[in-house]
Amino acid sequence: MKYILMMNTMKAGEGVLRWPKKDLQAHGAYMRRLNKELQESGEWVFAEGLSFPDQAKLVRAGKDGTPITDGIFPEGKEFLAGFWIVNVASPERAYAIAARASAAPGPGGAPLNMPIEVRPVPSGPPPEML
Amino acid sequence: MKYLLMMTGTKAGVDTYRAWSKSDVERHFAHLTSLNKDLREAGELVANEGLASPEQAKVVRAGKDGVPITDGVFPEAKEFLLGYWLVDVESPERAYEIAARLSAGPGPGGVPTNMPIEVRQVMSARTSEPGM
Repeated sequence: MKYILMMNTMKAGEGVLRWPKKDLQAHGAYMRRLNKELQESGEWVFAEGLSFPDQAKLVRAGKDGTPITDGIFPEGKEFLAGFWIVNVASPERAYAIAARASAAPGPGGAPLNMPIEVRPVPSGPPPEML
Repeated sequence: MKYLLMMTGTKAGVDTYRAWSKSDVERHFAHLTSLNKDLREAGELVANEGLASPEQAKVVRAGKDGVPITDGVFPEAKEFLLGYWLVDVESPERAYEIAARLSAGPGPGGVPTNMPIEVRQVMSARTSEPGM
């Protein structure tokens, strides 16, 4: 069963840039260890980290299909900071992995306990596409 | 340059979509299928997934002892990721062009939905490290 694990942030998530270097490194090392474990267990499909929210654009098709680009988002908008796609035996296992990501250390090494959104990824295209 | 193109919607928005007629849904998916084919042929499509509906979303936090605390309650206005396209393109403008094609997908009666698509660059150097 494939699941997506989403780490969301507000724009304020940029505060991570002000963490002491040592805390950033500890956080990065924790995530690398988690990724390595998932790769070794064969549960890792892929993962990506996104650029910061200030680089996000919202694109709509104009009347003739040309892109209309805009960089303005509502104040309370959650931005995707990064995600993992994992292939696991049960939803419980997906939640356990999400809890590991949630517990990644923040400033001073305290677990962040950040929320991770978890959702199944259907393994095939929706029936409408076939 | 890798870009993530995100299609998002609220629960209410998803309910509206569920009320589309079968032919409208088919027309919309034919548009997406043809876009995916073009991207694949151009070598620009890295990955593409449609997600399960927002009702199936859980939010998970680590409890004190690291045990997962699972919750299914989200704010009314929350935007859920419905699907994403990860593309590898020459320029941001090309990413925006692809996003515009997604945005122009036909809705009820074949009228373009012009839905907003969020576009953000993926940090290639950190591909295997979403947290950092």
